[in-house]
Amino acid sequence: MNTLAALARPPLLVQPLAHLVPTGLGPWGDGMARLVLQPTDLLLVLALVLLAAQAEGPCAERLPLLLPLAWLLGGLGGFSLAAELPWMLPCTIAVTALGLLVTLGVRWRARIVLPGAAGLALLFGLAAGSNLAGHAGGLAALAGEAVAIAVLTTLLLLPLAPPRRRWLELGLRVIGSWITATGLLMLGWLVRHPQGW
Amino acid sequence: MAAAVATPTAALAHAEASHGGGLVAGFLHPISGLDHAVAMVAVGLWGAVLGPPALWVLPVAFPMVMAFGGLLGLLGVPMPGVEIGIAVSGLVMGLMVLLEFRPPLAAAVLLVATFALFHGYAHGAELPPGGNALLYSLAFVVATGLLHLLGILLGEVRRWPGGRLGVRAAGAGVALVGFWFLRRALL
Repeated sequence: MNTLAALARPPLLVQPLAHLVPTGLGPWGDGMARLVLQPTDLLLVLALVLLAAQAEGPCAERLPLLLPLAWLLGGLGGFSLAAELPWMLPCTIAVTALGLLVTLGVRWRARIVLPGAAGLALLFGLAAGSNLAGHAGGLAALAGEAVAIAVLTTLLLLPLAPPRRRWLELGLRVIGSWITATGLLMLGWLVRHPQGW
Repeated sequence: MAAAVATPTAALAHAEASHGGGLVAGFLHPISGLDHAVAMVAVGLWGAVLGPPALWVLPVAFPMVMAFGGLLGLLGVPMPGVEIGIAVSGLVMGLMVLLEFRPPLAAAVLLVATFALFHGYAHGAELPPGGNALLYSLAFVVATGLLHLLGILLGEVRRWPGGRLGVRAAGAGVALVGFWFLRRALL
């Protein structure tokens, strides 16, 4: 038990990864890695994927194209902004709310899910663009991130949508509850430690 | 497990006040606290005893309410008797499994959610600053969910000959651990 407690001690504390982490693969690779290394964005995309998988209509077919495109467009807009947009708190709020929607298991219509997903992708793409604007190769990084979103969305939606089996449907809702719980904890943490925004 | 019960040195729902970011730290946190871990397993066990829909409703409700409790803890909202609440959760959940008590679903959810609030509060109050707080939270929630899943899988042993007795015995074990921690919290 003491060994477990020792292992559970914190690793090196790092700053939130709003910017790029050099991967050695160039700006394109850094941008792709940004999605994976930035869990808030990753959870946002995951929550949108789960919502689309549960939804009625052509959500699952259109989201892999719509989401990265909207992210890219928003990001391009973000490059023209003078200051970096705060993304941590709004993104966490969005993740929490989306997780809750997934947990409820409501089969939303495509005309609600797709515009909503596109709007969120535009918004957080805008924030991503404003964060990447100061980087050399920021445009390539943004494109890399959009490609990563497309790949991730496609790979996840292929087996998940539509959730025909009962256990899969319940599994999506369970994961939704985990996303909500994570978001709630993170919200509390952000309020308690506002310097981490 | 017996050795861990016999030699506790501090409340184990929150192993270290210095826990920070990181997947590993978050994942190990619920597992390293015996009082927390047995209660999580008991939620799954009781869900298996109750069957669908409680089988999945309880493990869905618990992490969300637990996180809400964590939010209250992080915000510094006072909550009295947290250690006692955590210990009672193990005791009561264990008894529910031992006695195969089957209340209406709403009552079961209410009971589990109440206990989840205590568990979450204890953890939330000690979630320290760190850039990996999100990974920590995510891993923490996933570990809790996996403990529920472990309980469900153990509970499914009921389908086998003699399995029902084994599940009830597991419930008795959880209740004993809960009683141990309750005794410590009250003394």
